Amino acid sequence: MNAAALRDRVAVVGVGRTPYSRDSGVSTQTLALRAVRAALDDAGLAHTDLDGVACHRVGDSVQAAIVAQSLGIRDLRYHLDLFGGGSQSHWVVGSAALAVATGVAECVVCWRAVNARSEFRMGGTGRAAPDTLEFQYQAPYWFATPPQQLAMYGRTYLDRHGVTAEDLGRVAIAQRAFAIDNERAVMRTPLTMDDYLASRPIVDPLRLYDCCLETDAAVAVVLTTTERARDLARPPVLIAGAACGGGTTLFSNGRGDLTVSAAADMAPRLFGQAGLTPADVDVAELYDAFTPLVLMQLEDYGFTDRGGAAAFVASGATARGGSLPVNTHGGHLSEGYVHGLNHVAEAVDQLRGDAGARQVPGARVALSTGQPGYVAGTTSALLLRSDR
Amino acid sequence: MSPVRPRPAVERDSTPWWDALARHELVCARCAECGRWRWPPRALCGACGSLEWAFAPVSGAGTVASFVVNRHGFGGAFPLPSTVVLVRLAEQDDLLLPGGWSGAPDGAGLTIGLAVRVGFEDVPGDADADPYTLLSWRPA
Repeated sequence: MNAAALRDRVAVVGVGRTPYSRDSGVSTQTLALRAVRAALDDAGLAHTDLDGVACHRVGDSVQAAIVAQSLGIRDLRYHLDLFGGGSQSHWVVGSAALAVATGVAECVVCWRAVNARSEFRMGGTGRAAPDTLEFQYQAPYWFATPPQQLAMYGRTYLDRHGVTAEDLGRVAIAQRAFAIDNERAVMRTPLTMDDYLASRPIVDPLRLYDCCLETDAAVAVVLTTTERARDLARPPVLIAGAACGGGTTLFSNGRGDLTVSAAADMAPRLFGQAGLTPADVDVAELYDAFTPLVLMQLEDYGFTDRGGAAAFVASGATARGGSLPVNTHGGHLSEGYVHGLNHVAEAVDQLRGDAGARQVPGARVALSTGQPGYVAGTTSALLLRSDR
Repeated sequence: MSPVRPRPAVERDSTPWWDALARHELVCARCAECGRWRWPPRALCGACGSLEWAFAPVSGAGTVASFVVNRHGFGGAFPLPSTVVLVRLAEQDDLLLPGGWSGAPDGAGLTIGLAVRVGFEDVPGDADADPYTLLSWRPA
């Protein structure tokens, strides 16, 4: 199989979401199936059309096999239950696309379901420590949660390029402006620079508004062949490229320079596979667990020169009407935290022209990314394009 | 009530490392074939592929690769502020270890690149738990 063999052969045909809240009041099993059903309804498909399931989780959600059983699938042709957080999020979809492109399965649903606020908070509160060997070397120092880990790496980037609090604030403010036009978003009140700077410190150098939300929600997308997709209810969104990368560990990691993420190595492969360049991208949904990740990815995916991301954001390029609108749903910072799958869903909305008041006019190519390769060291991303 | 810290979840691979720390010795895994360092301990050298390795002492010298200052409790009973450093060991550019900081709790005076030296903090045991030892880095 050559590197471009996946290009445009598989399509996203349906998107489903539960409401985003701080307390869903239901199990992750219920959330997952509600989002799956919504995605099937969007696609004009029935649950009996599915022959594959895929999700990622970190011991905090219903098993993929239970969802498959619940859907009544009796001959499960594709099954992925990936251990991992945001870094793996886009490889759930990418891996499912490989299964569809090769004919292993014909119609696969991918989802993330999590009660990330009311039940299992990332980093430990409400559950046992994550199943990672490295945790023993961190937790005794009170260095265990995602904001602490990302602050550690983010500081190296801020220090190297002289990035200021105001630079980070502009990322949060731009995304909030999009969220105001997103009826699903958890945070819809305007955010000013004064609000941002006055927000309480969490773990230096991160303030409250540098950090993503913790959300109860599920998001699902349905994939099938592009050929079949063209006969379905909604305009197909083609998977132009899908990649995973990285692989280093948190500590002795083969990456002495912490200011550059694993996405920098992966991005040329992703663009090459899709036959696209950064200049072709109309809208980018960049994994934004914390504001520094947005700046780093603008550089690692080749949208700006090294160290140029803060000026790029300050120019308005990533805001509404800019040359590269970023996180048009509000992102994890303002829409909600569905561990990367809500980025995929927003990219599909944009490419179908479904994004309402936040629609990027004429958007035809979208980049959607997973966490760029800190903590677990891996990363993943998708390039999507409209079939119009 | 005194703060309760998460204890190290020691497993088979890491027991000798924690035992060395209790003797106030810092060791890392080193490939017996090519000499490359790695940490945490893993069974195979990602550089040369050898399965032969041993724990070996490192100098205890390094520089601050980064640091964070906790201002929020994250649901745990920890004193605030508290500082965690990520130290780049002198032995190898990509040999990085997190640890505690023996200096000001708010990290005053810390900068990326600061030369540091290893130190140790003995955490006493009690009726329910054995004592253990943590890293506590200090200015060189």
